[in-house]
Amino acid sequence: MNAPPIDTLLNAWLDDELDAEKRIEVEAWLRDHPEEAARVRLWAADAEGLRARLDSVLAEPVPQRLTQVVWSQAPATAAPNTGWMRWAAAFAVFVVGGAVGAAIAWRVERPAAQMASSSGGPSWVQRAAVAHSVYVPEVRHPVEVKAQEEHLARWLTKRLEMPVKLFDLRSQGFELVGGRLLPDAKGPSAQLMYQSIGEAPAGQQPLRVTIYLRKPEVGTPAAFRYEQQGRTGLFYWVEGDSPGHPACGYAIVGDLPRERLLALAEAIERQDSASPSATPAS
Amino acid sequence: MDAPTAFRQQLLGAIPRLRRYARSLVFDPSAADDLVQTTLERALAHWHQFDQQRDILVWTLSIAHNAFMDERRRDKRMTLVEPTEARDVVDALPAIGNDIGLRLDLVAALSKLPIEQRQPLLLVTLEQLSYAECAEVLRIPVGTVMSRISRARSALRDLLDGRAPSNARGLRRVV
Repeated sequence: MNAPPIDTLLNAWLDDELDAEKRIEVEAWLRDHPEEAARVRLWAADAEGLRARLDSVLAEPVPQRLTQVVWSQAPATAAPNTGWMRWAAAFAVFVVGGAVGAAIAWRVERPAAQMASSSGGPSWVQRAAVAHSVYVPEVRHPVEVKAQEEHLARWLTKRLEMPVKLFDLRSQGFELVGGRLLPDAKGPSAQLMYQSIGEAPAGQQPLRVTIYLRKPEVGTPAAFRYEQQGRTGLFYWVEGDSPGHPACGYAIVGDLPRERLLALAEAIERQDSASPSATPAS
Repeated sequence: MDAPTAFRQQLLGAIPRLRRYARSLVFDPSAADDLVQTTLERALAHWHQFDQQRDILVWTLSIAHNAFMDERRRDKRMTLVEPTEARDVVDALPAIGNDIGLRLDLVAALSKLPIEQRQPLLLVTLEQLSYAECAEVLRIPVGTVMSRISRARSALRDLLDGRAPSNARGLRRVV
């Protein structure tokens, strides 16, 4: 038996696949048909339930045999091969293109029909979220370079070719663990990891948040945006380009209520707009 | 030519979500990781075909889909869980929250959906792909994605409400 066409339309509405006109039409129809609206709500609840149920796989440590596959027959030396040259060329184009960002706009945006947001932000934001889920559960190697090593900021600054500051989030209850370099679409990005100060509850890891930093593409919107994937919240924005202060894309990711994550994002924004010569805290 | 380090790192970042998708397809954790392993091997063998403008997750999911279908064709014993076994599989998944009963039923019901309905439903609801991306991964028209998702959601509801879904051919072993 084929589902009636109306169901297809309601599903497309739920998945945010309709154009504005059609969406408004469906929403008006749903207001007049509360029983159908209840059915759609159940579908949405089922989707939430499936995510809640299966998201736990994301937090599991990745089995060694899988990471071994990825690194098998890896180039023995860091010497650039032809493949790398292509990447380098792409990166050079990106650098020449320069980064022009607008000043940050403190409007918090949320897609209107976000019940099942389809795209989930630009792909670099997805990378920030994935990098968070990959490294936060890590017990032995959460970071590449520990916070205590004073070359951390220098190293990241050099590799990202923009000033990387280590933010002091102690007033928010978080201390720096360290950082790592990550690949982004067109060059390196950085991840800074912070964890809650003080003893974690027995048998639990301390709560960790990560900050993802990258050079933004030209024309990246500067608006301050929020996204949520399961329990994990994510704020992202682009800090403006100004003399002595090149544009920088930020994402802060953590399993925290939106208000607390916002407080952290604001602390970062405040410290970032302070003089670039401010002493990095660690 | 070997895959560059940056590509390998991108691949590494895709693993958690590949594992989640594989787990929701084949349920058994070890069989699911076998599928992820095959996917990673194929991705590495074909890394030069990956267009950096694309999302690596969508690309690797389509490789996973092909690998899954290949394995099903080769060995029909591998992936499908009998409804009678579904309860065991469900018990093996970590439990969360207070409404465990509800969620157990949800995954058990999911496992009873025919695979051609389960795939698009998971890609759209769990992996949050757009219909167009989902169509690309499954290599079917967008219209087919739409109708399968619609059928999947109502079949899932029927199962949860204790009704026999009109199209639950997945109750048999192999569709």
